[in-house]
Amino acid sequence: MTITRKTEPEQEEVILHLLHPLVKQWFFKRFKSFSLPQLYAVNEIHARKNILVSAPTGATKTLTAFLSILNELVDSAEKGILENRVYCVYISPLKALNNDIKKNLIEPLQEIEKLAGKSLGIRVAVRTGDTTAYEKQKMLEHPPHIFITTPESLAINLASLKFREHLTNVQWLVVDEIHALAENKRGVHLSVSLERLQKISPGLTRVGLSATISPLEEIAKFLAGSERDTMENSQPRSCMIVDLQFLKQLDLEVISPVPDLIDTDHKNMHLALYNLIHKLIQEHKTTLIFTNTRSATERVVHLLKERFPHAYNDENIGAHHGSLSRDHRFDLEENLRKGKLKAVVCSTSLELGIDIGYIDLVLLLGSPKSVARALQRIGRSGHQLHAVTKGRIIVLNRDDLVECGVLLKAAIEKKIDSIHIPTNCLDVLVQHIHGMALEGDPIHKDAMYQLITQSFCFVNLTKQDFTQVLDYLTGKYISLEDRHIYAKIWHDEATSMIGKRGKLSRVMHMTNIGTIPEESGVIVKLGEKKLGIIEEAFLEKLKPNDIFVLGGNTYQFKFSRGMVAQVEDAIAKTPTVPSWFSEMLPLSFDLALEIGKFRRLMAEQFATKKSRGEIIKFVNEYLYVDPNAAQAIYHYFEEQHTYVGVIPHDKLLLIEHYRDEHDNPFVIFHSLFGRRVNDCLSRAMAFAIARTQHRDVEIGVNDNGFYLGFSKKVQPLRAWKLLKPEELRKLMELAIDKTEVLKRRFRHCAARALMILRNYKGHTKRVGRQQVSSMILMSAVKRLGENFFILKEARREVLEDLMDIENTERVLRWCQNQALHVKEISTTVPSPFAFSIILQGRLDVLKIEDRHEFLKRMHQHVKAKVALKEGKG
Amino acid sequence: MKSYPKRYQLNSEIQLIDLALFFPKKKILIISDLHLGYEEALNRKGVLIPRFQFKDTITRLKPILETTKPETVIINGDLKHEFGLIMDQEWRDILQLIDLIDQYAKKIVLIKGNHDVKLGPIARKRSIELVPRYEFDGYLVMHGDKIPDDLKQLNVHTLIIGNEHPAISIGDTIRRETYKCFLIGMFRSWLKKWNLIVLPSFNQVTIGTDVSKEKLLSPFLKDNVKKCEVIVVDKELYPFGKVGKID
Repeated sequence: MTITRKTEPEQEEVILHLLHPLVKQWFFKRFKSFSLPQLYAVNEIHARKNILVSAPTGATKTLTAFLSILNELVDSAEKGILENRVYCVYISPLKALNNDIKKNLIEPLQEIEKLAGKSLGIRVAVRTGDTTAYEKQKMLEHPPHIFITTPESLAINLASLKFREHLTNVQWLVVDEIHALAENKRGVHLSVSLERLQKISPGLTRVGLSATISPLEEIAKFLAGSERDTMENSQPRSCMIVDLQFLKQLDLEVISPVPDLIDTDHKNMHLALYNLIHKLIQEHKTTLIFTNTRSATERVVHLLKERFPHAYNDENIGAHHGSLSRDHRFDLEENLRKGKLKAVVCSTSLELGIDIGYIDLVLLLGSPKSVARALQRIGRSGHQLHAVTKGRIIVLNRDDLVECGVLLKAAIEKKIDSIHIPTNCLDVLVQHIHGMALEGDPIHKDAMYQLITQSFCFVNLTKQDFTQVLDYLTGKYISLEDRHIYAKIWHDEATSMIGKRGKLSRVMHMTNIGTIPEESGVIVKLGEKKLGIIEEAFLEKLKPNDIFVLGGNTYQFKFSRGMVAQVEDAIAKTPTVPSWFSEMLPLSFDLALEIGKFRRLMAEQFATKKSRGEIIKFVNEYLYVDPNAAQAIYHYFEEQHTYVGVIPHDKLLLIEHYRDEHDNPFVIFHSLFGRRVNDCLSRAMAFAIARTQHRDVEIGVNDNGFYLGFSKKVQPLRAWKLLKPEELRKLMELAIDKTEVLKRRFRHCAARALMILRNYKGHTKRVGRQQVSSMILMSAVKRLGENFFILKEARREVLEDLMDIENTERVLRWCQNQALHVKEISTTVPSPFAFSIILQGRLDVLKIEDRHEFLKRMHQHVKAKVALKEGKG
Repeated sequence: MKSYPKRYQLNSEIQLIDLALFFPKKKILIISDLHLGYEEALNRKGVLIPRFQFKDTITRLKPILETTKPETVIINGDLKHEFGLIMDQEWRDILQLIDLIDQYAKKIVLIKGNHDVKLGPIARKRSIELVPRYEFDGYLVMHGDKIPDDLKQLNVHTLIIGNEHPAISIGDTIRRETYKCFLIGMFRSWLKKWNLIVLPSFNQVTIGTDVSKEKLLSPFLKDNVKKCEVIVVDKELYPFGKVGKID
């Protein structure tokens, strides 16, 4: 059983042969011929082969997946053998996409019915959290033949006694936008649902539809799962890959608004930027603009309207992001489809494949941080297959310029960065063990374990972890008298059978499963007016009268009560606290290494004393950028080389010592490995050094490196040499123990593990940190065990999904076997490459001291201050 | 060797010991805001964490009782959390707590807080006084959710209240932590003034309300908060100066 790539499309005749005359007639009324993806995939789907099709937007993916399916349904209907059950389950991550697909299936069916001159009785329906009770009842009596749903709703329906019957003997399973699901816990959750579905539909054929992503082999394995007939024997299911990612022609450029990125002052840079954006929009019919954050999205729309009021207004330009209301977003999507908008500015929300009409240009403001994402975003332009995909990346600083130059090269050379698929997510496991216990008859423990381990994400699930989660669900950790409150299932240890427990168990499951964490933010209000949301951790850092930025404006914090913070306007005042950068997009590791390689080639150019002209020519040719950009890049490297004589690169880690204006020692690491690795590396280093000093360490991290701030001078090289890749995991688990990020992820895991319920006995109120702080949640759970699975999963999520411990180990191994060298220097002013690390590095602290020691030390400061005052008086 | 919490001498008559107020000469111990049943309330809201509050409360209270050996113990309101019916677990816990205190003290005074609405049945069971407030030697102990109408007429110099669950955040720009604390200050009204002592909550599940940045409930704490002295409760007691002067 293997993953294979289909290298040749079928001949037209093959597909013509399998189509029912009505379908054939309909198809050629609409289209001239079969598209390339259809020639590759339609026959395989008809022959019931698992298949993964990767193609850009507008590549007719819907019909590629559905042509054989619609064909068989029409055929069965005509023969009078169409049964009252679900033939095809279609899953996508977005409700909007579900609605789109329904429309795209009903239209052809109606047209075919017109040709047939009669009704065929083929039913298509969408089932999500929005479906009304009436519609659900109708679906129960007359199940749709094509059942369109979300991952969460599928799981709910698998556990519902009545509807479950309609899911036996499903023929096809289509997962759309699978790349957007595989990289997070929603995909993990879905992968087990698919195994549960296949158990009652053994003849299931799995069809995956994906945009640009890599490696396709891993996604195919994720889609297909394995068959496990005994505890010892399991076989991965086979799956075919159709790789048409580069079907459309690429017209991609990197542009800078000004020739000189460093010496142009902020105001002029801004002016030039908006002039450039305006020019580009006016040169095209409809432009889609991607920024990386919600606040940037709003700012761009606002400034365009302000600067060019004759060109832009509420009718022809709009913002689209997750914080806006559903109605607003829907209206915008409609207007976009109808061609009414000149430009739409969004953060990440429009990356997914909903139909948004004709876009002829995609603009990316700032680096998209990965080749895959760049291609996914740019792929939204040129909707027809033969159209050209046109994208422009606008860079605003020199690091962006280098980064995007290398990204452009990688995109042109078809080198897509790898995604990370989370595995062994024990919080997701809770929902499935619970769900399976609700399915009807009691199930044997081994049968349950075997089914779960068929999922690609749980192949390596240990019996031990499985048992701990099972025990948690049966309330084994709780005293007998309280058990009825916590236990959701029963497990008879004598027979190994598992079933549901308690009258509320089913309702609790149906109303609480899902993997998307509920963000419990603090509402910021100006009087009665709600301005936005900030994170609770940010509120903890604020003192009364601090001035901070929210949504592009400055406000002064007055006081808070519960989950509300009151502020006053602070127009034109300077912020007194840094902005809270909540998780910005990280640079992919693969792309980071490419940039590192480019740096090395540049270092060699300088080392071999090439002339200015020669080096610029090299940049021009290597990176496909225009002369201005090549010159700017040359100057950047030339500065670094002139100032410190060292250009750090993928085989040379530069460590820079420097002292700030208060004479505090800082150590800067030029580790260009992307923020996910640097998050990990910085903490490991800080922890290793701090243990000897026993003091907290200030950490600043970004994609290009990190810095550590200490109270006295340290010797990082020694600590660096002590960091062993095989000990990294243990060290990191200690290092993240008191962090904010662990607390926050722990809370999410506790919610997924059904320890914190959104909906319980009629309550739907958010339980914020005021009522039970994450610290207390964690310490309550720690008493069940230092390695209690929810804690274990929170750590895993932080180290593997949020950070990148695997590639960090790789970097450390490179150090060990001398593939990566280290060089130390001291500077009085940070080197040019260090600036972005210091200025943009996201601030955090490594807490070595526990609460008690910290308090003692703070008290010493107070005593000292008092003594000083008294001494003076 | 067992270790007992250190005492902090506030003045000639009063000591602070962990989360409690102690009058050594009169052998009176005061604690406040235990909120037993808090976890049950969380459970009902869908937070199904394992319960440790009661065990922790006993663990924290025992050493205080053992080292002070009080004759009178005053629980200054909100012994119980929920407004409504008494649940089985609460019934058991509260009786157990009373029994523990009984082993040391001759008299237990339960001051009615805003959460103790249905405490009556329990209080009647062990023949304990359930009172709206308690006066002794110029000290007035009350929960603090309301200002008594006759305050001006009373012959008292110090008000001892709970209800606010005072806490304070300490730290620098990089790291901040929040701790329970006592507030020691003054209360002024109708041209009269009283000493004011605000007790931290004995509740082991939450820390409390950060008085440096949150809006406060108590009618006794308005502009006078900034001038209150903060005494942080941790493994020891640490005076940190006035609320308004803490960074």
